[in-house]
Amino acid sequence: MLTKDEVLAPLAALRTDQVVVTTMGMVRPWGRHSTHPLDFASADSAMGHAADLALGIALAQPARTVVCLNGDGSMLMSLGTLAVAVEQRARNLVLFVVRNDTYEITGNQPVPGARCVDFALLARGAGFPSVHGFDDAADYRRRLPEVLAAAGPTFVVVRTEPGHEAPLSRGPQEAAAYLGDSLAEAAHRLRRALAALRAS
Amino acid sequence: MICAARFLEALQRHGVTDVVGLPDNASAALFALLAGGGGGVRLRTVSREGEAFALASGLWLGGGRPLVLIQNTGLLESGDGLRGTAMRMRIPLVCVITYRGHARMMRTLGGVPPARDAALLGRPDLDSVALLTEPTLDAWGVPHERLDGEGDLPRLHAAFARSEELGGPVALLLTCDLRAGEAAC
Repeated sequence: MLTKDEVLAPLAALRTDQVVVTTMGMVRPWGRHSTHPLDFASADSAMGHAADLALGIALAQPARTVVCLNGDGSMLMSLGTLAVAVEQRARNLVLFVVRNDTYEITGNQPVPGARCVDFALLARGAGFPSVHGFDDAADYRRRLPEVLAAAGPTFVVVRTEPGHEAPLSRGPQEAAAYLGDSLAEAAHRLRRALAALRAS
Repeated sequence: MICAARFLEALQRHGVTDVVGLPDNASAALFALLAGGGGGVRLRTVSREGEAFALASGLWLGGGRPLVLIQNTGLLESGDGLRGTAMRMRIPLVCVITYRGHARMMRTLGGVPPARDAALLGRPDLDSVALLTEPTLDAWGVPHERLDGEGDLPRLHAAFARSEELGGPVALLLTCDLRAGEAAC
């Protein structure tokens, strides 16, 4: 089992120009590893909809990798997105499920199927061509470069220790830079940043 | 009845890049056209309607101009997906919503009833989703107009303009079928 930092530090070290979409218990931890203009926090939004939002960005930006740091509770809310990602041939989508078996933000109540649901099998069953599971930090660090380089859509499930994140907000009270403005401002900022990169 | 090919041409004229949604009998002809190529408008079929609003929002963030096409039953399913993505992100988004049960509601009640209760929603001679469609959009503050026939297609233009002006979703309620073939066009 990994800590969140053991999941995020190697990813942040390898990250170049990818869009990274975070949600729920991964929002603040990722904000401690990255202040990249292509980071987007699906916070103050709709639980369960980070993966399909990230899929939409990936489909509109086929030349750019889009990484989604999803939770297991959120993934369970939108399993149909697995089928849609494959159907749409989103080769540039890397969908993480950071699995801690709990709804962390609300006090670590167990998710349905905790310790029982096989997310990697669900992704394979939906047709994901690149599926990876990790529960060892050294193995994860070693294999992450090949995982990120694989032709996707790619699915990565990482067994992670439950944390103790408080409910999310947006505004100056949040330390993470990408939580400093409203969801609408962040969304429009990301669209402008991607448009500027495309134009250049 | 609206010719599906004319409808698609209207989407192309307005720069729509993607149609995101789920088919029903009223929209099936357009889905068939899109699946057959769509003249540059891509089809993004989703697994549930709430997913359509999130996926469309992501497409917009990535630089696209998506349009959502769902049935009114799916609108009711979409609640938090619509609220937490397109509305909360202030995304200009046109949603075409097929209006199941509209004809029967008009025939039986003459319009949208001013109030609803369990007895009305349980009446077997009405499709309850029709009774809830416009009140739901009103409750969410989503502007809406009807598309009753091909003569109403210019309302697409107004809907795109309104969604840009508001920075949010605007709905067009399709009360007739999109049809394919010579007879329809």
